[in-house]
Amino acid sequence: MNSDREEIERLIAQVAMGDRAAFEALYDRVSAKLFGVSLRVLDTRAAAEDAMQDTFVKIWNNADRYQANGLSPMTWLITIARNTAIDRLRATRKGHQDIDTPGLELAAPGPNPEQSAVAASEATRLTGCLDGLEADRGAAIRGAYLEGASYADLAERFNVPLNTMRTWLRRGLMSLRECMSI
Amino acid sequence: MSDHPTMPAEDDDMLAAEVALGLVEGEARDAARARMLQDRAFARRVADWQERFVAMTDDITPVNAPARSRKALMARLFSARRVPLMQRLWVWQGISFAALAAVAFLAVPLLQEPTVPTQGEVYATRMAAEDSALELLAVMDMSRGDIALRRVSGAAPEGRVLELWAILPERAPISLGVLPDGDVSRVALPADLAAEAAQITLAITDEPPGGAPGGVPTGSVMAAGAVAEL
Repeated sequence: MNSDREEIERLIAQVAMGDRAAFEALYDRVSAKLFGVSLRVLDTRAAAEDAMQDTFVKIWNNADRYQANGLSPMTWLITIARNTAIDRLRATRKGHQDIDTPGLELAAPGPNPEQSAVAASEATRLTGCLDGLEADRGAAIRGAYLEGASYADLAERFNVPLNTMRTWLRRGLMSLRECMSI
Repeated sequence: MSDHPTMPAEDDDMLAAEVALGLVEGEARDAARARMLQDRAFARRVADWQERFVAMTDDITPVNAPARSRKALMARLFSARRVPLMQRLWVWQGISFAALAAVAFLAVPLLQEPTVPTQGEVYATRMAAEDSALELLAVMDMSRGDIALRRVSGAAPEGRVLELWAILPERAPISLGVLPDGDVSRVALPADLAAEAAQITLAITDEPPGGAPGGVPTGSVMAAGAVAEL
């Protein structure tokens, strides 16, 4: 797992230098996972293929900023794929605004950004913790992350006022963080 | 957004989670974006949430994307075809650094929409010859199937015309026609030359009015240049 991470980090660093062979190697290494994520969000293959292409264009263009954001390499890659897919999903909605791509605007670049304090072991507890939340709260968080649902979408889905939805979700997030850090 | 003004850190962390989920909209979102650029602790919180949320993708099965996807991506990123023509002219190695500014200036009238990516290959050459003041810049745009020419200096000798030729290995020179008067012109490139475009050397000879009799060059080569892909 660690060597995987180092390998992907090395590839991203090479891509940041404009290394096309490294970019192709990175594609071969992670595209199936990123395509899976795009498919999960977008359902149709054609849309997922387009989203994944956009994802890799962003990766190529922003690899030099990867170091500045402190994310683990797979988190960075998957988050770009997820945000790109959700942007595409939302593009048909009124008043659409793009989600930020990590590394584009995240944190002022510094020499040695600290890595995320969230350990891998903590992250793996997420699913269990989500399942442990009151059912609606877990579903709301999943809906926001995997389906790009907005507060308004969620309020409608759960048939509660917008402010109630926000309070629910924030409570859910607090419980989630607490559960994961144990 | 401040439900608990006495717990700013807690509020920050919830806002960071909402940013990571994409739940922050409108002005609040713009403010959050600006803050991420300046406030490293806040940016760190957003990253921490991204690190947590990404676990929701753990059980997503990898799916191999079709090969055409990879091919399309690489073509999109690395094919010279996507680069605007002006940009290609700027990186053209076939012309001296000192001439770059002149090329940019000269190229503009050749190209109708110089910043629009062209879809086909583009070749260019600077045509010149010793003992001749004639010098032209030629840009072969395969998507249009023509050659744009811009005269830099020189002219046809008195009573003669300039005729453009495509020279290909082991073939007789192919006439591309007599150049009209004027500094800028476009000449159609015969479709059957497209496949060999990269090997073409363009040459200009002086010929009697009306062009070379019998389609065979008779005059001296006043300018020539092998094309290079941009």
